[in-house]
Amino acid sequence: MKLSKESVLGLIAIATILLMSLIAPGFLSSNNINNLMFQLPEFGLIALGMMVVIITGGIDLSITYIAALSGVGAALMLVNGYPIFLAILVAVIFGLACGAFNGFIVSKIGVSPILVTIGTWVLFEGIILAITKGQSISGFSETYSLIGNGYYMGLFPLSMLIFAFFVLVTGVLLNKTGWGRNVYMYGSNDVATLFSGVRNNRVVMKVYLYAGLLAAISAIIMTSRYNSVKVDLGSSYLLQSVAASVLGGTKIEGGYGKVMGTVYAVIIFLTLSNGLNLLGVHRAIVDVFIGVILISVLTLNFFSDKIKQKKETTKASKVA
Amino acid sequence: MKSIIKQKEFSIFMIVVLLCVVLSFVSPVFLTFENFLDIIEGNVVMAILAVGMTLVIITGDIDVSVAAATTAVAVIIGNLFSFLPDSWISILILFLIAPVIGIIIGAINGLLVSKIKIPAIVVTLGTLNIINGLVLYLTNGQYLNSSNFPKPFLTFANFEFLGIPILVYLLTAVAILTWFILKHTLIGRSVLAIGGKSQSAVRVGINYNKVKLFVFAYMGFLAGIAAIAQTAYTKAVDPNGLLGVEMMVIAAVVLGGTNIQGGRGSIQGTLLGVLLLAIMQNGMILAHIDTFWQKVVTGAIIVIAVSYDQISYRRQQAKLAKIEVEA
Repeated sequence: MKLSKESVLGLIAIATILLMSLIAPGFLSSNNINNLMFQLPEFGLIALGMMVVIITGGIDLSITYIAALSGVGAALMLVNGYPIFLAILVAVIFGLACGAFNGFIVSKIGVSPILVTIGTWVLFEGIILAITKGQSISGFSETYSLIGNGYYMGLFPLSMLIFAFFVLVTGVLLNKTGWGRNVYMYGSNDVATLFSGVRNNRVVMKVYLYAGLLAAISAIIMTSRYNSVKVDLGSSYLLQSVAASVLGGTKIEGGYGKVMGTVYAVIIFLTLSNGLNLLGVHRAIVDVFIGVILISVLTLNFFSDKIKQKKETTKASKVA
Repeated sequence: MKSIIKQKEFSIFMIVVLLCVVLSFVSPVFLTFENFLDIIEGNVVMAILAVGMTLVIITGDIDVSVAAATTAVAVIIGNLFSFLPDSWISILILFLIAPVIGIIIGAINGLLVSKIKIPAIVVTLGTLNIINGLVLYLTNGQYLNSSNFPKPFLTFANFEFLGIPILVYLLTAVAILTWFILKHTLIGRSVLAIGGKSQSAVRVGINYNKVKLFVFAYMGFLAGIAAIAQTAYTKAVDPNGLLGVEMMVIAAVVLGGTNIQGGRGSIQGTLLGVLLLAIMQNGMILAHIDTFWQKVVTGAIIVIAVSYDQISYRRQQAKLAKIEVEA
């Protein structure tokens, strides 16, 4: 029996959880489990958005600032007394607009995604600063805070359900629709995709729109959970989301990436940082861990690929 | 004359000139020698890093760990200062140690990129995380002030020759050295060749791994120099002082006409790019624009510049398949 890359990662995730529940005191306490459950959706959504962009061979460095900007949009609506429904709508519109801006420059003008999103990173950060003057906006209604803190049927965190829904949607979109297939095709060879009659522009545009949408949803959950919004809302998730996508098996050159891989990677990261925190490891060292894991996973990948290649060539020579 | 106007650097130069004209109307202080010296001295660190980043970007890669590397070296030399004697030897030691530490950091990046073939953006994101984490853990985010700096270092930092601060000379030396390497040495030409078309370059017999390693190690070397410049300029070591500078460095390089896909770029252009960003920032302060809006303007200019660059590049490509000899 051969396990897929993702299943192996899933086993590693289970192993990390087991390991942490053995060595970290209080890891299995209901309080801590709750904590983890509430952290997973906001990080997971951003990581999924990043993954979709990376599958096309791009990268979205502005994604956390899109989230922050959407959060600011929602917060302004709420503070000024508009209904929650409208606040959510505004957040989504902000996210889509930012995504459309990125998508337009990447797909129509053809600037490389790293550059565009570095520019829009600074731009969106500036816009947030200009709106908020560097202050935080806080004080939302009780009902709004239910999105990030509430339970469904008194058992399941509401945000987890939202996350599960989007995991499903992303999986279906990528695997069962024409757009999804085009995303993978574009990631592995954009010229060939264009020549086979795909409208590359539209495919890429939708990718950035989708990333913007996921960022906005994540922002809604974050603002509701923290009950405040600031310019650095979720900014720590930027590098982590790239790391999670790559650890989840997404090829940074594009063309491959699975939703479940990213979800497992997110679980591994959260478990590790949470467990290390409980063990009393300095917050900064946790960052070091993430960096080390990222690089060592890729190094291992490189060597395992090499061994596999060697095996195949010896097999081929034997046949010949 | 026509060839000068056609060069990419010329259009950036014209924008800088235009900006200067506008700003001299906005503020009478702008067009003074002192203000210009301040602008340049204040951006020496960024310029040194940008010069190194030019080489990295010409090969088609990117290094987002530069600011972290610079901070790491600065923290190390800051802690080293208390062990150094109060004599001129200290400065010599400093100029030996800082670049070496930088080269080690850069070489690690380079090895991972060239030998293990991990994409540079991922490698440097990883090392950025690692270095920043370690620096934060070891320093606790604490500021080191100049009280235990050796006296000669402070004299060095304040030294002026012909009314121009020493740091400006340091930058000039770095720029000329890099320009020479890029223009007149085998390894420099290989850097451009790899960036232009790595497959053909390898077939001609250029050692791909060696060039990549060199580029990242050189970047590290300049990060070491930049750390000295940063310490000398601020006369302190701030572990958080350079947070986010890497993005500005990349922006400056790209504004200066270096193609992010690799293959084209020049040191003069990069220096102009740094100057453009620096003058813009200085101008916005002199024009009393709200600090919060400055980021919006900077971001907008980066987006517009890269878009314009891409559009004009495509137009040029469409016109005729011309071989670029000048680089």
